[in-house]
Amino acid sequence: LKTGLLLVTLLVSHMLLTKEGVTSMPICPNGSVNCQLTLEELFDRAVKLATYIHFLSSEIFNEFEERYAQGRGFIAKAVNSCHTASLTTPEDKEQAQQIHHEDLLNLILGVLRSWNDPLVHLASEVQRIKEAPETILWKAVEIEEQNKRLLEGMEKIVGRVQSGEVENEIYTPWDGLPSLQLADEDSRLFAFYNLLHCLRRDSHKIDNYLKVLKCRLIHDNNC
Amino acid sequence: MDLRHLLFILALICANDSLSASDDLLQRPQISKCRSPEMETFSCFWTAGNAYNLTVPRILQLLYKKSNEEDWKECPDYITSGQNSCYFNASYTSVWTPYCVQLASKNEIHDKKCFSVDEIVLPDPPVHLNWTLLNTSQTGIHGDIQVRWDPPPTADVRKGWITLEYELQYKEVNETKWKELKPRLSTVAPLYSLKTARDYEIRIRSRQRTSEKFGEFSEILYVSFSQLGIGCDHCTEEVEFPWFLVVVFGVCGLAVTVISIMLSKQPRLKMLIFPPVPVPKIKGIDPDLLKKGKLDEVNSILACHDIYKTQLYSDDLWVEFIELDIEDPDEKNRASDTDRLLSEDDLKSHNCLGAKDDDSGRASCCEPDIPETDFSASDTCDATSDSDQFKKAAEKEEDLLCLDRQDNDESLPSLANTDPQGRHRNTQSENSLLWAPFGDSLESPRPSVHTQMSNQNSLTSTDFYAQVSDITPAGRVVLSPGQKSKLGRAQREGCTEQNFAVDNTYFCEADVKKCIAVTSHEENEPRVQEQGYNEDGYFTTESLTTTVANFGASTAAAPSSETPVADYTSIHIVQSPQGLVLNATALPLPDKEFNVSCGYVSTDQLNKIMP
Repeated sequence: LKTGLLLVTLLVSHMLLTKEGVTSMPICPNGSVNCQLTLEELFDRAVKLATYIHFLSSEIFNEFEERYAQGRGFIAKAVNSCHTASLTTPEDKEQAQQIHHEDLLNLILGVLRSWNDPLVHLASEVQRIKEAPETILWKAVEIEEQNKRLLEGMEKIVGRVQSGEVENEIYTPWDGLPSLQLADEDSRLFAFYNLLHCLRRDSHKIDNYLKVLKCRLIHDNNC
Repeated sequence: MDLRHLLFILALICANDSLSASDDLLQRPQISKCRSPEMETFSCFWTAGNAYNLTVPRILQLLYKKSNEEDWKECPDYITSGQNSCYFNASYTSVWTPYCVQLASKNEIHDKKCFSVDEIVLPDPPVHLNWTLLNTSQTGIHGDIQVRWDPPPTADVRKGWITLEYELQYKEVNETKWKELKPRLSTVAPLYSLKTARDYEIRIRSRQRTSEKFGEFSEILYVSFSQLGIGCDHCTEEVEFPWFLVVVFGVCGLAVTVISIMLSKQPRLKMLIFPPVPVPKIKGIDPDLLKKGKLDEVNSILACHDIYKTQLYSDDLWVEFIELDIEDPDEKNRASDTDRLLSEDDLKSHNCLGAKDDDSGRASCCEPDIPETDFSASDTCDATSDSDQFKKAAEKEEDLLCLDRQDNDESLPSLANTDPQGRHRNTQSENSLLWAPFGDSLESPRPSVHTQMSNQNSLTSTDFYAQVSDITPAGRVVLSPGQKSKLGRAQREGCTEQNFAVDNTYFCEADVKKCIAVTSHEENEPRVQEQGYNEDGYFTTESLTTTVANFGASTAAAPSSETPVADYTSIHIVQSPQGLVLNATALPLPDKEFNVSCGYVSTDQLNKIMP
């Protein structure tokens, strides 16, 4: 009984904390063979997940900034070199409108894949920060999990939408792990700051691209 | 002279003031904010500040640089966004690219800001606010409306480039504080329960969905029910129900009532309002019983419930019995022990030592159970494991006492028959019979429950003891009717020095002497009992006697069958649950002497007697 109560409390508090949960119930439960979600449903879920991830990223960045960056005068580097900067993604609405939806989908997949590794390390390394608040720790883990789920969902969508077999080689490796493990605390925190800043930006990108795709493919540009 | 000094000082102060004031006014040019309304363009605004030199107007430039560029470029459009602004149109805007802008004049940099466009999104306000009436209340005093609006025209919501969230605020016209609704994604919002007699103002603002900051408010929408002819002009001003007063007075009244009831001397009323809390009731036990203190009955009930240990059946109880027997010598000869033992009349009223019959729980416990399973009253009392009965002497007693109720005249003779097959009864029950008379010899005697005696006159009139004619190795005891012997009984009491020393109660001298006699055989007993239990079938007292003799028992008394006087084979109950040792020796004791003096022997006397 106690365990159940604790779980319920955690769940409720989680939902309250996040203010916005991924509330869509699976119409197709896991493992069901004959069930197939429509593309609209897949996109709905993907957009929800992406929005949630971006929301978490914003929060974790704000919390981190508030907690660690103020006293240290961190400002995101003007030449903020996120590791995904090498991927050429649409930078404005025009470009987003013009890019082919398959390419955009592959780009999204590439960005998500490129973030898989850093998120894993973020979740583990953030635990080593001295006196890291629980909310930050929890959010880091949650972002990593949700990213994986979004990746799965995107792969499904790509499988549905793509006509032919396209090798998706879009990926950038991440080599920022040593910077997260620096001995000097200031440098290490600055590395975290930049990583979280990049995460917020990229999650916003993904969220936007997915919305554009959804409005384009599902609602015919009439959301 | 003083006046001039004063004037001089005043002049200085004034000069100081004026100088400082002008210092406050002299501000550096600053970039106040950069903003993008739709994530396609953005503008930066600055304040010019005060030129050091008012005569030469300062020329401010806004320079910008994208993160991947080296050179600073000048603002492409100083005009579109107004004065002291710089407008970057869509071609200059890259959303997720970091920018830096700086405000400079000639070679002097006044201010610098770095950002990316997605971080500075502040949407325009919604447009085309309107409202429609949903319904009004029956009285016409309240009404519900629905407010609709359009997203800001600049934001491209249709293509999904930007997703907006809206917050609606409303208030009565003459109020100062705005009420807010929760931010929503849809462009409609209902407002419920507005007063038709009043006019309302509504305003809405929007923000990008995952941002925190809202844009500017829209124009105010005025809501007036009278325009639709619905307003209830002649309605009286609705008085709000004075909930607070109601609650306060209600609580006070309730408190007064409660206190008055508590203090009232009317027990009935008190009972009605505050019914007494039911006390815990143990099944089978009447609370009155506990209160009245009829401990014998209580004992029986509790014993039936298997909670009770042997303490109840203290040695003193037997002492009492003995005493009463003396007083009624006639009873001695009245009937055979067996008969008395099994006499239902005597025992009916003492089901399990006199527990009340009306108690259901107890009845189930000590139901006069049935013949073949006779001696299994203990079973019904304690249905669980037979082995328990071994352990608890009290159970044996209880069983016996339970058995007493039974109409088992037949059963007892059958006992005497020592028919192994016929008697497939539980070992324990037999043992219980055997054990019962000897009570809690394991336990040190407790102060007897004297009150029990009064209730058990009839009981005491019966002879509880049956002669042990046979003992099976397995522990079965075959009883035959025999004369009771108080002495024997006393003998079997917990006969260790320890017990005597510890307990301060009185002992019958006879008991003491018996103990002395018996203790000498103590060492032999365990072995005897083990042997007894290991064998199958019955062994007669003769064999037992032999066995005892083999172990060097000094007293090789004839078995009970041979010695008419000694009806009892003294049994020394040992601590082991399996222990059952018969001492065939019947120590001749001057009954009378002891009977007479068999009152209470003090511990001191006891100590004198004991070696």
